[in-house]
Amino acid sequence: MLTFVALASVLLLGIVPEQTEAIAIYTGWERHALLGSDIRLSCSFFSWRFTSDDVTFSWTYRPDGSRDSISAYVDNKGPFRDRVEFVGNPSKRDGSILIKNLDYNDNGTFTCDAKNPPDIVGRPSSVRLLVFETVPIQAGVITGAIIGVVLGLLVLIVVIYYLMRFLVARRVFSLSVSKHGKKKREGSQARQGPVPTADPTKVKAASSEKKKQESRKDKK
Amino acid sequence: MLIILAFIILFHVAAAILLFVATIHNAWWVVSQAGRDVIYADLWYSCNSTCYPVENSHTVDAAYLQTIQATMILSTILCCVSFFVFILQLFKLQQGERFLFTAIIQLLAALCVMIAASVYTAQKNSFHLANLREGTYGSSYILAWISFPMTLMSGLMYLVLRKRK
Repeated sequence: MLTFVALASVLLLGIVPEQTEAIAIYTGWERHALLGSDIRLSCSFFSWRFTSDDVTFSWTYRPDGSRDSISAYVDNKGPFRDRVEFVGNPSKRDGSILIKNLDYNDNGTFTCDAKNPPDIVGRPSSVRLLVFETVPIQAGVITGAIIGVVLGLLVLIVVIYYLMRFLVARRVFSLSVSKHGKKKREGSQARQGPVPTADPTKVKAASSEKKKQESRKDKK
Repeated sequence: MLIILAFIILFHVAAAILLFVATIHNAWWVVSQAGRDVIYADLWYSCNSTCYPVENSHTVDAAYLQTIQATMILSTILCCVSFFVFILQLFKLQQGERFLFTAIIQLLAALCVMIAASVYTAQKNSFHLANLREGTYGSSYILAWISFPMTLMSGLMYLVLRKRK
């Protein structure tokens, strides 16, 4: 019975990962670049197998509005001649390429496919390249940044203020408790005790709290 | 006492409404040329019969427009937040204490409106297209300027007010 359960579990564990054992490829979604600059298109993958020595990356390029893709860097022909360079590190699962001196004709979709033998089934991932003359400020970045920073600072200040009040109240409470406790046992000697150990700022805050309480008592 | 409370609440709500209208209504800048449709422009769109978003692909100039957008939105948010804080403090404060928190937030809202309206006045030429250069200020712009002293006075009133009974 036990051997049957053990065999069944080993079989199940053997079957299930194989269905999820596809290679997962990650690239960016969209890349913006300036005319004439260089851009590094990154591609990495996740595989359940160890990174083998025969890891291969292949990039294909499809111009905007065209239907067929061409290979991007394997052969030194085509629109990327002498401009594209493989700068990744296959043993570290990095298959990035560097494209120099961008032109408007480079607008298009770059697809990265990685193979990690024996894990070769996977879905290639694409990154879209957009070349601009001047990189535009995306709508609302500064707006959102200003609003977020100011509101965040306000919330932070409020939290810090209440935290300080809470800590000071606790300090005053513990001071007064220890004062009353020692008073019961001995006379004026106990009063000198807590004062040198307290921070000067906290003593000031404690005394202002005491003044507030006294003024409240007066008003009542 | 109740009359003062009602007045203050109404004043605060009026300031908040003015801020909302100024931010949302599309009439900061009005261009009315003879023989053409009147163009209404504000911080986000410029519309005659169809609305076009304000050009924000200039790199440095768009920063001013986005600052104005951010401070107008911030002042509206802060005005609403201070209203809720006022209601909260109304129930939670001890007698005789001032509504300090409410006042601070309301004064911050006044500061933001002032920043927004001033920057708009000074820098509007940098983000208006050429066909929008000649025009007059619209109603939303005036409302924004009116809501600045309203929020300021409201904040100062909260500073002076003390809780009773």
